[in-house]
Amino acid sequence: MAVPPSPHQLIERLAQESRWRPGRVGEPFPEHPLQPDRWRIEDGRFALRTGTGYAFHYAAGEGVTVEQDRSADPAELELWLNGSVYAAVACLNGLYPIHASAVAHDGRVHAFTGPSGAGKSTLVAGLGRRGYPLFCDDTLLLDLSGPDTIMALPGHKRLKLTDHGLALTASPAQSQVGAGTGKSYAMPPAGICREPLPLASLTFLEQGSPSSVAPVTGAERFSRLEDDHYTQQLFLGARRPALAELFALRARIAGAVTMARLVRPFTAEGFAKSLDLAETLITHYHKEQAP
Amino acid sequence: MSRPLIKAADRFSETTIDGEVVVMSLDTGSFFSLTQTAATAWQLIDGTRDLAQLVDALGAHYGTAPADIEADIREFVAELVGAGLVAGG
Repeated sequence: MAVPPSPHQLIERLAQESRWRPGRVGEPFPEHPLQPDRWRIEDGRFALRTGTGYAFHYAAGEGVTVEQDRSADPAELELWLNGSVYAAVACLNGLYPIHASAVAHDGRVHAFTGPSGAGKSTLVAGLGRRGYPLFCDDTLLLDLSGPDTIMALPGHKRLKLTDHGLALTASPAQSQVGAGTGKSYAMPPAGICREPLPLASLTFLEQGSPSSVAPVTGAERFSRLEDDHYTQQLFLGARRPALAELFALRARIAGAVTMARLVRPFTAEGFAKSLDLAETLITHYHKEQAP
Repeated sequence: MSRPLIKAADRFSETTIDGEVVVMSLDTGSFFSLTQTAATAWQLIDGTRDLAQLVDALGAHYGTAPADIEADIREFVAELVGAGLVAGG
């Protein structure tokens, strides 16, 4: 029986497979011409045509080809390569993506998930101010090939923050993510984690008042993993798992990872409180559950 | 005499999380979250009991008169049968 690659080998493979070069993308799936803002994943290949002048194509062993027309904003390239393309390459190389940003603490990963605009990046930037290094921003990759521990692979080197997120976290803006995104790159205040680590907790961010945190238990742990974000769609397209396989994957995550719900208003006070609550979750985990 | 209730093993996946049994129909992808009596009933559906015997077993398990729970169990089993997860009854 083949031994699955180690998390370190997966990181190397992901870096190798994600390398990119400029070239002509054309129509990788001639029977299904790609319209702007559409992607297709099939037969171990991925293609994306953005509405902003970029086209990408990935095939296993060939890396990523990038085509851009004159209208394309050069600042957007990193966004696509570290977003949709990164997630697609990961899915086609056996990894499971979750729409989450995460920090590392004491040898484990603590992830925060929610729909776009839920404040994932801002929260991990704020946790960075409190000394927690960034593990990933927006896409968390899981290696489920091992029999026991669910390993997470480190991702991004910078955060993408809105002006509001920059202000809340007192983060200096480095450069624009892309003219149309309204976001800027910012360095993680506590640096980044480069090591694959076990995933310890997954916290669902919600807007509301008053600020509170509560465990997610029972079947809700399972149903909360039914995410309709594009990363899950990429995974489904890449793996085309049978319902039973998908159920088993989610059951494994639900059974192995501590889950909580963090509710807070989108105010400066709410943000400060959410950092307190998130930090409590992280430190509580280690007091109560660390082996 | 009614037939024993038996799970259609090839038509669902199940897992237990925090004591709740999550059952997914492989035909439709729909979920059932089973707690307390429903979870126990699901565990007792093992091909050896018909509906009346299941009600008796649950009554004994919870120290309840079978007549007090029969209607609820009958409805629950009908739901499982309707979803194709259980046959017999």
